[in-house]
Amino acid sequence: MATELPKTDVVIVGAGWTGLAAAKELADAGQRCVVIERGDWRHDATNFGAPEEHDELKYARRKEHMIDTPTKTLSFRNNSDQTALPMRRLGSFLPGKGLGGAGIHWNGQLWRPLPSDLQMRSHYAERYGESILDGMNVQDWGVTYDELEPHLDFFDRVCGTAGVAGNLNGETQEGGNPFEGPRSADYPNPPMKASPPLQMFRDTAAQMGYNPFHMPSANVTKAYENAYGAQLHPCTYCGFCERFGCGYFAKADPIICIYDVVKDHENFELRMNSQVLRVEKSADGKTATGVTYIDENGQEVFQPADTVCLNAYALWNVHLMLVSGLGTPYDPETGEGTVGRNYAYQTIAAASVFFDENVWSNPFMGAGALGMTIDDFNGDNFDHTDLGFVGGGYISANQTNGRPINYQPTPPDTPSWGAEWKQAVRESYLHHVGIVCHGSSVAVPENYLDLDPTYKDAYGQPLLRMTFDFPENDRKMSAYVLSKAEEIARNMDNVRAVGTVNRAAEGESYSVVPYQTTHNTGGAVIGTDPATSVVNRYGQMWDHHNVFVFGACLFPQNLGYNPTGPLMGLAYWTLDHMKNDYLQNPRPLMDA
Amino acid sequence: MPNFSRRAVLMQLGASGLAALTPGASLAQNRYADLDTQPWSFLDGNEARFLASMADVLIPEDDFPSASQAGVVDFIDLQLAGPYGKGAGLFLEGPFRDGAPEQGWQVDHTPATLIRTGIARLESGDTRLVDLDASEREDFVTRLSEGEDFDLGDVPATTLFDEIWSLVKEGYFSDPIYGGNKDYAGWRMVGFPGAHAYYADLVDKNAPFPAPPRGIAHVPGSSRSASTSRALTGSDADTQQEEG
Repeated sequence: MATELPKTDVVIVGAGWTGLAAAKELADAGQRCVVIERGDWRHDATNFGAPEEHDELKYARRKEHMIDTPTKTLSFRNNSDQTALPMRRLGSFLPGKGLGGAGIHWNGQLWRPLPSDLQMRSHYAERYGESILDGMNVQDWGVTYDELEPHLDFFDRVCGTAGVAGNLNGETQEGGNPFEGPRSADYPNPPMKASPPLQMFRDTAAQMGYNPFHMPSANVTKAYENAYGAQLHPCTYCGFCERFGCGYFAKADPIICIYDVVKDHENFELRMNSQVLRVEKSADGKTATGVTYIDENGQEVFQPADTVCLNAYALWNVHLMLVSGLGTPYDPETGEGTVGRNYAYQTIAAASVFFDENVWSNPFMGAGALGMTIDDFNGDNFDHTDLGFVGGGYISANQTNGRPINYQPTPPDTPSWGAEWKQAVRESYLHHVGIVCHGSSVAVPENYLDLDPTYKDAYGQPLLRMTFDFPENDRKMSAYVLSKAEEIARNMDNVRAVGTVNRAAEGESYSVVPYQTTHNTGGAVIGTDPATSVVNRYGQMWDHHNVFVFGACLFPQNLGYNPTGPLMGLAYWTLDHMKNDYLQNPRPLMDA
Repeated sequence: MPNFSRRAVLMQLGASGLAALTPGASLAQNRYADLDTQPWSFLDGNEARFLASMADVLIPEDDFPSASQAGVVDFIDLQLAGPYGKGAGLFLEGPFRDGAPEQGWQVDHTPATLIRTGIARLESGDTRLVDLDASEREDFVTRLSEGEDFDLGDVPATTLFDEIWSLVKEGYFSDPIYGGNKDYAGWRMVGFPGAHAYYADLVDKNAPFPAPPRGIAHVPGSSRSASTSRALTGSDADTQQEEG
């Protein structure tokens, strides 16, 4: 029998980016917030300092900052004809755990969606005709770029984002991304430096008529006081960013940017090492009454609340809905139901550029968002007529991760071990750069999330089951964008070899083994039609009006950008409507 | 365990085996500083010799040390004895079924039991890997990597190969505090400077980085980590050759 705790105004599941932002905004609005987090307390100042944090084995290979599969994993299969089996070891994606969540080990590549991304169905239908989307569950988000812009801008000021604006209030700016939506203000900080390969990529891309620009970066470039008054420091390009916490206070993260300014708030309480099992519902099923969780002492407790915010990782939010009976599970046979529908991923390919000895890439000098990018083949920035696919991706020369266990570049046709391999690694390591194609991922009826019929987690709950393979659309998209990246690579000077890898190549199935990206999206998507979305355009559940949902699970399909920027824009949009409307008069904010 | 020597165990590798492992003076600053006279934490002598033989096919000696010369066997021993070997980070609830390669690890083993069981089955006949000559060893590792000709029961040959190769690379390139990458062998080979942290003035320059590697437990004024067990005879850095 669960112990019932005193009621709180808001209970927040998860202490990552969105959970701490919700706590900060709602605590300031007078709401008593209880944040429940499964992992450990930690802090940049005490837990992420060099040199100890600069330990590739511990953090990048043993993944100490990530979720541990014995307590939380999912099962996986490529299609409904297979039997899903547990993802027994982390690989393709790396959800976080502990204070700050995956926001601790992210890279800081901080993007905005294109205006057309948020109206993907209506945009493509208007420009090319509806049939270009046949076989896909591509949808509009129900919220526009102009509506999100103030919130995207605010998050830039939470992170101290570094970059060059390409569009200021409708005016195209030199050196920025000319395809981006209008910014109401410039980046808070100047762009990062460019390493030699990035300079070469920039020059070559420009000569080819493309529009290179510095990747928007939450690795800050100057001392910066953020929108909440927290202090950030300039990046040292130490090269331990993705998969690591930043002890320099240089990579914006949820702890230093938000937690530090809310932790002493009278309306804020954080409960660590506490695993939420389910959201409880009222007798009539129309509202949630709170959450039941296992506390740090292993006791099952019930935390009643007027409002429930789901701020766990995208996949775990969906899992929590399914095990709690929130919403209606998606049925791929009938196409009905919405929870678990529109799961999408990211379609990753890359060109691998091997320079001669005159070019020193020094890949260990890096930062999570150190990149030179073109957006000419992302979204609908290029004409899709007769291409046979929708979507695209950015192409970016990135220098983020030159640590030697995971970074052993070898030219094509090198043996995978032995004397020749050793010689090739030795010759290539300091003279190599990767050009990533960060591709979008459309939603299709066959890809979805539900509960596994066989496997259970450490709490006796069924595992989430993922059914996913790369849709044909994305295979074509990826091959096309990769061909453009390869062309740039071959046009660069001092190049002795170019290799390619395409995770979505024809004939290859998606695998959970090799790392690709921690950008799992969808399953609880936002929209304006309860038949095709779990939450309305304010992030409020159609079926339970006091449950608000945050994170990349809201994306109707995944865009060609990293998700943190878009999902934080959505988070502040939702919080704005909670603070200024819902909490004064709790009710459904849209008619179903 | 009197007179025990890991080095002596590994020296029993046959004429075509390891290049001589030079005993070196230790710089004992932590309990792993000189592992040679300590018993293995997990491995037995046969397992250690098998892993050294296989590791040295994967990363053979050239201008830079082989895997075993760089302490990879010590590294693997410690890893298998510790949380990783015992299955930390592995979801091991059943039922176990054969999966597609895309579904990853589906064997009812921890890394430690996988490797112990796998080696025992590979070495159950008359021939030991250490008894083969260089080209036979290479052929054996090639076949293991391709999963051919091996019936190892519930240990798929390719899973075993992938796990050992993963550990060998980790041992060669991880910080020396874990027992491998001795004297920064792996880092010197590629030019990785380790736990240096400040490149803001250098990242946009087309020039080599001048300083030698420095690990988490770096010994000030030297070019070694506190956890290395072998003496370094030369002065420094990039072109340092192994004395053996």
